[in-house]
Amino acid sequence: MSNIIEVKNLVKQYKEITAVDNLTFDVKKGEVLGLLGPNGSGKTTAINCILSLLNFNEGSIKIFGKEMNHDSYDLKKDIGVVFQEVSVFDELTVYDNIDYFCGLYISDKNQRKKYVEDAISLVGLNDFKKFYPKKLSGGLLRRLNIACGIAHKPKLIFLDEPTVAVDPQSRNNILDGIKHLRDNGATIVYTTHYMEEVELLCDRIIILDKGKILATGTTDKLKSLANIEEKITIEINELDINYLEKIKEFKNVDDAAYNGNSLVITYKKGKNNLLEIMEYMKKENIKYSKIFSERPTLNDVFLELTGKELRD
Amino acid sequence: MIVFKTFLKVLRKNLPIVILYTTILLVFGISNMSTSENNMNFVASKPNIYIVNNDKSDGITKNLIDYISNNTNVINIENNEEKINDALFYRDVNYVIYIPKNYNNDFMAGKNPEIKIKSLNDYGANLTEMLLERYIQVAGIYRKSIIDENELILKINDTLKNDVKVNITSKLDTNSLDKASYYYSFASYSILACLILVICLILSSFNEEKIRKRTIISSTNYKKHNRILLLANFCYAFILWSLYVIVSFILVGKIMFSSYGLLYMLNSFIFTICATTIALLVGSLITNKGAINGIVNVIALGSSFLCGAFVPMELLPDSILKIAHILPTYYFIKTNEILKTLEIVEFNSLKPIFLNMLIIICFSIIFIILSNIVSKKKRKIA
Repeated sequence: MSNIIEVKNLVKQYKEITAVDNLTFDVKKGEVLGLLGPNGSGKTTAINCILSLLNFNEGSIKIFGKEMNHDSYDLKKDIGVVFQEVSVFDELTVYDNIDYFCGLYISDKNQRKKYVEDAISLVGLNDFKKFYPKKLSGGLLRRLNIACGIAHKPKLIFLDEPTVAVDPQSRNNILDGIKHLRDNGATIVYTTHYMEEVELLCDRIIILDKGKILATGTTDKLKSLANIEEKITIEINELDINYLEKIKEFKNVDDAAYNGNSLVITYKKGKNNLLEIMEYMKKENIKYSKIFSERPTLNDVFLELTGKELRD
Repeated sequence: MIVFKTFLKVLRKNLPIVILYTTILLVFGISNMSTSENNMNFVASKPNIYIVNNDKSDGITKNLIDYISNNTNVINIENNEEKINDALFYRDVNYVIYIPKNYNNDFMAGKNPEIKIKSLNDYGANLTEMLLERYIQVAGIYRKSIIDENELILKINDTLKNDVKVNITSKLDTNSLDKASYYYSFASYSILACLILVICLILSSFNEEKIRKRTIISSTNYKKHNRILLLANFCYAFILWSLYVIVSFILVGKIMFSSYGLLYMLNSFIFTICATTIALLVGSLITNKGAINGIVNVIALGSSFLCGAFVPMELLPDSILKIAHILPTYYFIKTNEILKTLEIVEFNSLKPIFLNMLIIICFSIIFIILSNIVSKKKRKIA
């Protein structure tokens, strides 16, 4: 597979702060790459550098095999960007907004009309064509924002946290739309701090923190980086400190912590752990309301790598 | 093309603003024109006076009082110094004449008896003083050659009844020129407000950081995009100017078809270009849409008040007019004022007008350079 994006040794500094620190990665054709990291990790800065919206201090960026510059209009025509903030005209209707941003790429009126209709259908805004943005809910606005970014049917799409602060229905709609774009062969760079979305959509993930790449690979590969193999969460109203210390001494237990209403136990290896803990609770007559076991998440990987949560 | 089309769509959303300011212009324009219909007819005004007559004799004294009374309104108040002072204080009377005892006899004896007065020193008082001096001077001249009192009175009355007829020989249609000057001077406010408000609102939408980013990353050349926006703004300004010129043809009438009309149009056209450059500068500076209304009020209302768009220039204090020199509106209104009294349209008489227009063009160039600098600074990528 050929590389659609090639970023080599990218460095971006704001005075003394290094926002992007020696970043090197590539994105293959048709791939969905997830850039995962907490707020301020350098995801948006990296994208802005790739799009030539920001100058960078060191490194090189190639898109479709060509050097990307401010005036690379031949490259820009195949790129679509959905920014974190909703970027639309308040004075234009849903249709007119999509038509305007599509018109910045497509001058043929008939072709544009078809593209705009396709984009409206993709994000499910058919019933809101004549609405002004102020009349739309937060979720619908996000959908409009996406439609404006992808209406010209780009080959490479940057989606910068497109689901921030949206209702579940709109989030599902947005994710379905992105899957549709992926299935139609678009190459996608998807930044977010929602690990579930990354797991659902991305072929490959880059975990960023403080402008540096901490880890890269598929979801399974990244999860294998975590020391833990199983996590059991038990909802308990009261727990004696002695029980907690006892649990910590169990075989395979990596750590156990109680926060006042739930006990979280992490295991280095994962076989019969759930059964063992349930039997112990029964024996000691400890009352609990819920108990469940799960595999480590990307958040656990991130916690393992940085010592902090993704959403800190 | 899509940029131009979108500009028009955003403009359409802001049309109520244009309608509002045009209505203001029409209302004030029409109301002023109806009040200035009879500018060529003069009605003499009579001051209010009070006469304290301490000489009860007939003859010259009575004749003087009759003459003054015919040309003024004699007010009845109590002959009491306190009441007289109150009447002056409250401006119920402009002038008080004290005729001394034996005035008649003393005058006929060739003495010059003194008539005391109290005056407000206003226009009415000056007029009364003029009447009084005129009577005394005429009477004094005839007294030297005429001894008989009745004959003297007849001669004085005969001389004083002669009115001077004043004929205005100017060929200027001052009424229409007044109307045109008022209309165009007031239009400076509507032009400034309409252009700055609408252009700033439109530019603030196009220049909003997030929209700007989307435009920059698109395959449309950003410089070309900005050039189209600039062209669209000037097109809007031209349409607005044309609308106001058409309205002036309807309100002012045939003077607009003369060379004066052409000069009014040229002056307003240059001012419209200048107002557009001001709007572009303000539009490039503003980042907060909510601040636009306030800024428009400061610029449009402020310059209109300072430069005489609402109050005629001759009524404004010198200190205000000195400040107004730094504003292009001043030169625009100044030209309208010159046109109002311009007798002959020829190169020499038009020199000050062309100079004013040149100053407005210089202002426009400065504003366009400044807005270019601001835009370039904003475009600069971090």
